[in-house]
Amino acid sequence: MSEPAVHITGVTKRFDDTVAVRELSLVVPRGSVYGLLGPNGAGKTTTIRMILNIIVPDSGTISVLGRPHLDEAVTNRVGYLPEERGLYKKMQVRRVLRFLAELKGVKPKVADQRINKWLERLELTTAEKDWGNAKIDELSRGMQQKVQFIGTLVHEPDLVILDEPFSGLDPVNSQALKDTIVELKRDGKTVIFSTHLMDNAERLCDSVCIVAHGEKVLDGEVAAVKAARGTRNVALAIDGEVSGAVRHVLADPRLVARMDDQNRYFEIELAPKADPQELLRNVVAAGANVRRFELISPSLHQIFLERVGAKGVEEGMSGHG
Amino acid sequence: MGKVFVVFKREYLERVRSKWFIIATVLGPVFMGLITVMPIVLAARTKSSAQLSNVVIIDATGSDLGARVSQALLSTTPEAPAPRVRVVKAEQVPAEETRATTEVMQRGAVGYLVLDANTLGGKEMRYAGRNATALIDVQSIERMVRQSLLNMRLEREGIDPSRVAMLTAVRLETKTEKISDRGKEAGSGLASLFFGYGIALVLYMMIAIYGQSIMRGVLEEKTTRVAEVVVSSVKPDVLLTGKIIGSGAVAVTQVTAWLGMSFLMYLVRVPILKSFGAAPAMMGGAMKIPTVAPMIGVALFLFFVLGFAFYAALFGAVGAMVSNQEDIQQAATPVMLMLVSSIIFMQPILLNPSSTLAVTMSILPFSAPLMMPLRMALVAVPWYEIVGSLASVTVGCVIAIWLSARIYRVGLLMYGKRPSFRELGRWIRMS
Repeated sequence: MSEPAVHITGVTKRFDDTVAVRELSLVVPRGSVYGLLGPNGAGKTTTIRMILNIIVPDSGTISVLGRPHLDEAVTNRVGYLPEERGLYKKMQVRRVLRFLAELKGVKPKVADQRINKWLERLELTTAEKDWGNAKIDELSRGMQQKVQFIGTLVHEPDLVILDEPFSGLDPVNSQALKDTIVELKRDGKTVIFSTHLMDNAERLCDSVCIVAHGEKVLDGEVAAVKAARGTRNVALAIDGEVSGAVRHVLADPRLVARMDDQNRYFEIELAPKADPQELLRNVVAAGANVRRFELISPSLHQIFLERVGAKGVEEGMSGHG
Repeated sequence: MGKVFVVFKREYLERVRSKWFIIATVLGPVFMGLITVMPIVLAARTKSSAQLSNVVIIDATGSDLGARVSQALLSTTPEAPAPRVRVVKAEQVPAEETRATTEVMQRGAVGYLVLDANTLGGKEMRYAGRNATALIDVQSIERMVRQSLLNMRLEREGIDPSRVAMLTAVRLETKTEKISDRGKEAGSGLASLFFGYGIALVLYMMIAIYGQSIMRGVLEEKTTRVAEVVVSSVKPDVLLTGKIIGSGAVAVTQVTAWLGMSFLMYLVRVPILKSFGAAPAMMGGAMKIPTVAPMIGVALFLFFVLGFAFYAALFGAVGAMVSNQEDIQQAATPVMLMLVSSIIFMQPILLNPSSTLAVTMSILPFSAPLMMPLRMALVAVPWYEIVGSLASVTVGCVIAIWLSARIYRVGLLMYGKRPSFRELGRWIRMS
């Protein structure tokens, strides 16, 4: 458990004139759930592809499970779900899965047993119908996603890398995915996933790394990242209409540095030296029916917006000099 | 490596299991057999149409020529009605012709034949009828009139009729044999021509069909995005190698099946041809299988393997270059041009297999896999030319695979517009 699951040191990757990833270093602890967060085009997919040795970094080193990531033995212990999903359309489900398993060095017989178990578990094999013998393009979109997911895990990898796994999932499958991630962690596996859905990341991840424009903005354990921000945030929930007077108070720059207005719920970052009690008094005085007023650590969402909003737009747009 | 085998296995099994493959494999020899059998059958059918003797003979020669021709015609088609001989005077011929024309129109006869003084003089005869455009019918009638005329003349010279029959019985058939540097070879010259032509054509077909199927397969992996999952498990080079070997093995399987089935058809050719109504005598020389020396067989196989790998690698790279079906044909044009240019020169090389053009084409790596086997079937190619050609194809193959693997590696994850040649150059340097 001592060696990290993934250790990236000073990795840079350029495509033509644009820098996709610049001097990125990060450590993914073994047995953790790790979130790679960032806006679109931040370099998440490039980073993941470099970990998987699909593309080669221009400089820097990457080690996976304590070995250089070029090692084939390492490749066989990694499971990957790409952002753009797809399988051989004209192939039977079982044959596709067996192929993917064999590519990871699983013996055909072992693969068949595992595939059957998975197909039953994800309800692709039921009493009425065995979808395992159907061709991929006969399956619904949801079923295809399940098959792809089996393909990612069928070789029982120690490290699972999921690129935007939640995109395109309905709530039911989304929940199933969360359950599976938790289960993988319980079995001692390491899970890395990229997302721009901060709520999922905050609830699931042990550690995160936020990247923007190819550079690391911050990383570390979620608890530590949040603790470092102190408790300078206020969660404010209001029942009924939010009047203009209340909004006027919330716009007071002496008290409020930044606010995430979600209509009836506000996450407020207090201005430096502002007194939260004064804010509460003013809000009540303005006639608000306050249901919740709590001093909290900022949410990942807030931290993300704060850090990426500043850095991403201004420095990012200037093209890093 | 184990993973090449996994990719190979999928490629091979998925293709061999496809309906298209099974249909093509089963129907291929049937089709080829039909092409070979049909001309023989057709020739047999048209040898002499069954109604050949059902004619009117207008004999204005004042001799028994009409009767003699009638005899000869009847002997070829005994089942058909006998010719009706009308002995007339020269001035009656036009009226008789009008009458005979009506008979033909009313299907009382197939046609009519006019024999007159000109015929006796050995200059001309006239035939009109429904089968007047059937070359073989007209030729048989002409042959019989000539024979009858000749017999008549000889008899008039006082030669005994039975001696005439014996002396004029000349039935000549040409049997050809090919002589090469090694001496005489079994099989006729024509057969080895067809053989060489056949080999080059089959190689061309296999490379075009399976090369392009690799191209489409790669594009499919790209568009369905399977490629990314696969290359996270194996290196792109391994994937490309596995695909090429897999498709090549499918092509070999198909050709082997075709050869096996063709050989079976050859073994049972007599009953088949009989059922089509061909005379057994016709199946001798024309269908003799040319012998192939073991070394030549090995060389042919090597040319196929190398030629296939050369084109398959290039087609694979083309598949990785583009992102949609619309672009693919255009992007494949340079590769197709190389392949087709070899076939265009097939005709001149067939006519003169030792010309400079032929030698050059059988050394250049892109045309050699097709042209060298063709030349080898036609003439005895010196061993050093074969070895040189193999070496050249091997080098070309290594370069093609090296370039393709690099384009493939980069292209497989690139989506968007088709790269220009300059961009391709950058891809090659990049990986």
